[in-house]
Amino acid sequence: MSKPNNKRVSATLATATCALLGATPSAPVHAQELDKWDFDTALLYYGEDGDRVTDASLSLLATRKLVDDRSLTLGLSVDALTGATPNGALQQSVAQTFTHPSGNSAFTVPAGELPLDDAFRDTRVALSAKWQQPLGRLYTLSVGGDVSNEYDYTHLGVNAGLSRDFNQRNTTLSAGLAYSSDEFDPVGGTPAAFSPMLDVGDLSNRTGAETKDVLDVVLGISQVINRNTVVQLNYSYSNTEGYQTDPYRVLSVIDGSSGDPLARTPAPGVEGPSHVFRFESRPDTRTKHSLYTLAKRYFGGKVLDVSYRYMTDDWEIDSHTLDMHLRWPIGARQYLEPHVRFYTQSAADFYTVSLVDGQALPAFASNDYRLGDFDAVTAGLKFGFKMRGDHDASLRLELYQQRGTISSAQLVGNQVGQVAYPDLDAVIAQFSYSF
Amino acid sequence: MNFTKSWRAMLLLGGMCVITGCSSLGVEPWDRDVLAKDEMQLVSAPLDASLDDHIYFSKEASSGGRGFGGGGCGCN
Repeated sequence: MSKPNNKRVSATLATATCALLGATPSAPVHAQELDKWDFDTALLYYGEDGDRVTDASLSLLATRKLVDDRSLTLGLSVDALTGATPNGALQQSVAQTFTHPSGNSAFTVPAGELPLDDAFRDTRVALSAKWQQPLGRLYTLSVGGDVSNEYDYTHLGVNAGLSRDFNQRNTTLSAGLAYSSDEFDPVGGTPAAFSPMLDVGDLSNRTGAETKDVLDVVLGISQVINRNTVVQLNYSYSNTEGYQTDPYRVLSVIDGSSGDPLARTPAPGVEGPSHVFRFESRPDTRTKHSLYTLAKRYFGGKVLDVSYRYMTDDWEIDSHTLDMHLRWPIGARQYLEPHVRFYTQSAADFYTVSLVDGQALPAFASNDYRLGDFDAVTAGLKFGFKMRGDHDASLRLELYQQRGTISSAQLVGNQVGQVAYPDLDAVIAQFSYSF
Repeated sequence: MNFTKSWRAMLLLGGMCVITGCSSLGVEPWDRDVLAKDEMQLVSAPLDASLDDHIYFSKEASSGGRGFGGGGCGCN
């Protein structure tokens, strides 16, 4: 009895199968690449009014799809940050002098102006990699890592995710875990909590670098409702341990009855702060929980995308975010996509606009406007178009506005009517190109 | 909000959905033409999403939700 020719049997079966499927047999596919890399690139400009922060950013996502639904995604992002940011001190009716964070020089803010630290300049480079592949027929596994570096900050992170499909892939349960370890090495060193801002050249209140670790867990379910609708619900837990204070931010120390800043005199022959300022201090643990829901619906060629997020944390910050996009096709190759986003948050329990002279220092205090009570609105429009060879390009222009309030209980004496939340207006412009 | 309770409720909801309720929702594999479109993916513009996450992480006290909390920057 002759041995069956396995290769010939396989080839015959392949031909028969292809004939049944109406396809022509092709060369056998080994574990190799499909086609080539796909690239998503973007140039982004973010600019705040009043000479505050400006960010010019270049981003690249490169994806290589392999056979069997495996894929590799690599990311690169370079940010060039310039401008000035509020340093936490209060706006006053007199000029105020501050020592720069480096401790090497001083700067003066005119009377009536919000104190901004103008030495803010940084370049951030971030790299990421993610591998995704099916495990068996119904599971998908992803593993990734990311690293970023700034002049004073280094971030290292790893993450993994697993999802499983149910109900003919109409329901997907997913779980993800991310861990990161960051190091903050501030210019001039890390100031001790609540230590006073010192004269130029005096770094006696500074220590070395600080670290923090962040653990994130995300559990999610997505569900296809019908041919045109899909929904998603995620629960996220995030725990941060370590240094979360802003080492460049201070608080004004004020007189308890007048509310005016406490003056000080620098040492003879040396430049230094004109008033008493103390560096802020935040808790070294923070636990956040959030619920996120998303619904996407296709109707008449248009796609409506609505999401809502509720977040709460043990700094007593609660926030609500409502985000909506509507993709509206114009012909076969172009679309317009209006976007609105509403955000509101309550203040952290240690958010304080100033410290009162003679009173015991609180456990924690910060006048970072991002920890205050504010509402924000984003409104924008994206215009996308297909180019030759199925390359995609888009332009996005958005306006972002923050409006905050400071509770009257926080204001003392002359501060009423003089101290206001540092409202923010920013423009976001982006050009994207995918090929 | 009591998150231990809400977590349990979500797991219960997810479990029930998988076992019973949601099995009546959804579509047959051959009805996925619309859902397969790029613009119908849960994250249809990944680069826009990551840039937005980075901006809002830098300017607000909340982050994450859609995915991990993001960050990895000093972000003043």
